[in-house]
Amino acid sequence: MALGQLASRAMNTDRKRVLFTVLGVTAVVALLVVVTGMGLGLAMETTVYDEDVDYWIVPDAGGEDSPLVATDGPAFSDAHETATDLETHPDIEYASPIATEVLRLEHDDRSEYVLVVGVVSTPGIGEIVGLDAGALTPNDPFHDGDTRTGELVLSETGASLLEADEDDTIEIDGEESVSVVAVDDGRSAGGANMPVALVHLSELQAMTGGEEADLADQFVVGTTDPAVKDDLEDVYPQSTVYTREGLLATETMDGDLSLALSLTAFVVAISIGTLFVVTTMGLELLANRREFATLSALGVSTVSQFRLVGIQTVVLTAVGGFLGGVAGYFGVHLVNELAMAVVTSGPIALVSPLLIGYGLLAALVIGLVSIPILLAITRRLSRGAP
Amino acid sequence: MTSRSARASDDEGDPPTVSAIGLTKRYTRGSHPGFVGRLLGRSAPPMVTAIDDVSLSVAAGETVAISGPSGSGKTTLLHHLAGLEQPDEGTVRFQGTDLGTRSRRQRRRRRLENVGIVFQRFHLIDSLSARANVALPLVELGVPAGERKRRASAVLERVDLGDRTDHLPGELSGGEQQRVAIARALVTDPDLLVADEPTGELDTATSRRVLELLSSLAPDRAVVIASHDRETLAIADRRVRLRDGRLDAESATGTGAAPGDKVVPGDPG
Repeated sequence: MALGQLASRAMNTDRKRVLFTVLGVTAVVALLVVVTGMGLGLAMETTVYDEDVDYWIVPDAGGEDSPLVATDGPAFSDAHETATDLETHPDIEYASPIATEVLRLEHDDRSEYVLVVGVVSTPGIGEIVGLDAGALTPNDPFHDGDTRTGELVLSETGASLLEADEDDTIEIDGEESVSVVAVDDGRSAGGANMPVALVHLSELQAMTGGEEADLADQFVVGTTDPAVKDDLEDVYPQSTVYTREGLLATETMDGDLSLALSLTAFVVAISIGTLFVVTTMGLELLANRREFATLSALGVSTVSQFRLVGIQTVVLTAVGGFLGGVAGYFGVHLVNELAMAVVTSGPIALVSPLLIGYGLLAALVIGLVSIPILLAITRRLSRGAP
Repeated sequence: MTSRSARASDDEGDPPTVSAIGLTKRYTRGSHPGFVGRLLGRSAPPMVTAIDDVSLSVAAGETVAISGPSGSGKTTLLHHLAGLEQPDEGTVRFQGTDLGTRSRRQRRRRRLENVGIVFQRFHLIDSLSARANVALPLVELGVPAGERKRRASAVLERVDLGDRTDHLPGELSGGEQQRVAIARALVTDPDLLVADEPTGELDTATSRRVLELLSSLAPDRAVVIASHDRETLAIADRRVRLRDGRLDAESATGTGAAPGDKVVPGDPG
């Protein structure tokens, strides 16, 4: 009877009120699912499970910082050899050591300190610190025995500060001359306005004195197989392996904080959802107070009236929860699209059909928490004659 | 005052279906001041006596009409006879059992099984069909769904609403809604039917149909109707009049009409 009455109310007599209650729960649960998806995504580094996986190997001491600005931390030795070994792995598409130094660059009468990143331009490596490494001659010719290429890819910020353009010659620390092969508008990992530049790793090592030990601050690895992560962790004993997007994400969001965010979202959603359901259903009960008094007058027990209210509350919140879960699921997709368009190069939120179930579960918790309050209201309303 | 049926019951030693003995009920006018209010010097609200030392018996097969002006205590007396309220003084006996000695749950159960109530404003559940409204008491009694449907449909047929069983109350006229309410009151085949101003919201023609229906119910049960409408009073075997919460002298001395001495509709009595 409770379900029949609820269906009749939803389709005939109380369409707007029922719809309002369901949509209220839907909105709360959808927001919960989106925030939870983001929190879990950031905490779990979701892109490990993505198709195009990139890993960073960084020394432990610098593990909590962005590796692209950690210039004074411990370094890896025999970088080129290690990279060559890594590339023999069947599931690794490319591997490149990365070194970073802050150097003074001069062009005409302009002089600026720039974060110079040394990289092996392995085919397929794509962007490093937002600059296209493919603009450099492939691999690392100077390390392979050829002459210096003298190539440099400059960020737009750097080019603007130095008033340099493509094909201009720039001096590094007043000694080496390099040629700007490309000006890239890519964003840097250390900050949107930081001037950065890419050069071949061995040429940077030659300028900074790291060529003898073949030093690098970190490695970037491209693969489509998430299982590679375990092998990467064995390369250097005291290192940590991050995903490329995971690193970018951790710039803004620590893992524990993400889980705390998800938990907080759950508590807040349950609280707000409960308040919403209690308010809307409470108003509904007050509007129907005559019905409860009538039921009591006819001899219908308070327990039966409780059952009526309880079942209808759970069903309404469950419907709202399911719709909210579905809306939240698509909301997570939307967040990822927006994030990839504006902030990161990969999704930041966890995408899983389980989120719909989570929304439904949260809605049921909302319903169950709301029921005692609604029953107390029902008890008061069912007294006396209509 | 006793009717022929009531006298017959007494002669045979059977108790009347319902009897009120020395009923007094008082209500407060306004809300109590509460602890803080008393500390602030607010006095308790005045008491109003709704019914004062009222005694009345109704036997099976008898239709009794309670008349009186608005505020005279008709509805309060009906609620006590139906067991909806408990008196401050006096007792209500239902088939010989003092309701004051019964728990709230037992009184509710007795209402469910033995009392049918018809309200002035119908008080149907808007979101339930006519048949579902009628079947409500049967749900509480645990009657299986198929049996509920059959019995509710049969009672609706009896009140000439067999073709309106699936309609919502909002889709029915006032007279039809009142007949659904009467069907709901009858579906458990109660021993006592109480009706509070059953034609108060209806036009003349519809009122006549409802009254014909009510007058046909008496042979099987005790019927008590509260009204100040002449035609409604006319269907009663016996009439009692309340004034300021007390029965008129004529009512109290038992000189009202006996069953069979029905007043012709239109006679103000």
